[in-house]
Amino acid sequence: MNENTPGDAREMLDLIDGQQRRVSRDYRIPVVWLYTVWAVAWLVGFLALYLAQLGVFEPVAGGVVFGVLIAGSIVASAVIGSRIGRGVRGDSQFAGAVYGVSWTVCSVAFALLGIGMIAQGLAGDFAGLYFPSAYALMCGTLYLAGAALWHDRLQLVLGLALLAVGAVAPFLGLGPNLLLMAVAGGAIFGAGAIVTLRTLGTASPRR
Amino acid sequence: MTGVDELDPVIHAAARLKITATLATVPDGGSMSFPRLQELLDLTAGNLATHLRKLEDAGYVEVEKTHRGRVPVTYLALTTTGRRAFEDYTAALRSILGA
Repeated sequence: MNENTPGDAREMLDLIDGQQRRVSRDYRIPVVWLYTVWAVAWLVGFLALYLAQLGVFEPVAGGVVFGVLIAGSIVASAVIGSRIGRGVRGDSQFAGAVYGVSWTVCSVAFALLGIGMIAQGLAGDFAGLYFPSAYALMCGTLYLAGAALWHDRLQLVLGLALLAVGAVAPFLGLGPNLLLMAVAGGAIFGAGAIVTLRTLGTASPRR
Repeated sequence: MTGVDELDPVIHAAARLKITATLATVPDGGSMSFPRLQELLDLTAGNLATHLRKLEDAGYVEVEKTHRGRVPVTYLALTTTGRRAFEDYTAALRSILGA
């Protein structure tokens, strides 16, 4: 269409839909990557810990694989996350910044709680039950916050699923709890990636 | 019934319609930087600036020039009038199509 020639109503409506789909897609592609990165980190990382628990790997090797994957995912999340809202500012910018920082602050707080309990004599087996569940509960809670902030039903469902996994895992005992984290974590974040990918063609508002 | 000839002439041009549609995705009270808008529209800077001036003259777009550190940045936002004009325009299109 000529840039300055009025088209017919259908053409203009399609133009609006097409452009808003393009914008929406641009915001959601990084979200697909975020979910994918964490699906892989949970699946492979917790599987490595589980296999180490079974004696297939040295415990140190399992821990290193897990640590590298989590650290890599945190760095990737920071880079990808910074691209989601780039070039846009406003009221949502403050909410986004607080939400982003909450992940770091909560991670440190939950880690300190665990380390504090170990320092007070918490046995290694119990620490192995605490840390995976603490992080699943933390992720679940923050996803619920994300759902409330951005009216995102997908985050609501994922948050509830993570809370359920974190709450149930200790009942399975050390070892099976890690396998549950690997399978359920991979499935939950993977589902997030797939559902977001399937909505790329729609022109609904951001997030 | 509304006819195509009665549609808002400020918005009823492909480039300005795409600009307005893009800025309408930014939540109320928010704004988008010029480079980001340009990236989402695939327009040259000169072309985008020309169309933005027309939208600004009509009172549809608010332009704010600021600095990020030492780098000057221009932020664009739909005014209340602009947002309403866009909503009225899309409603008029749907009315023409009988949707």
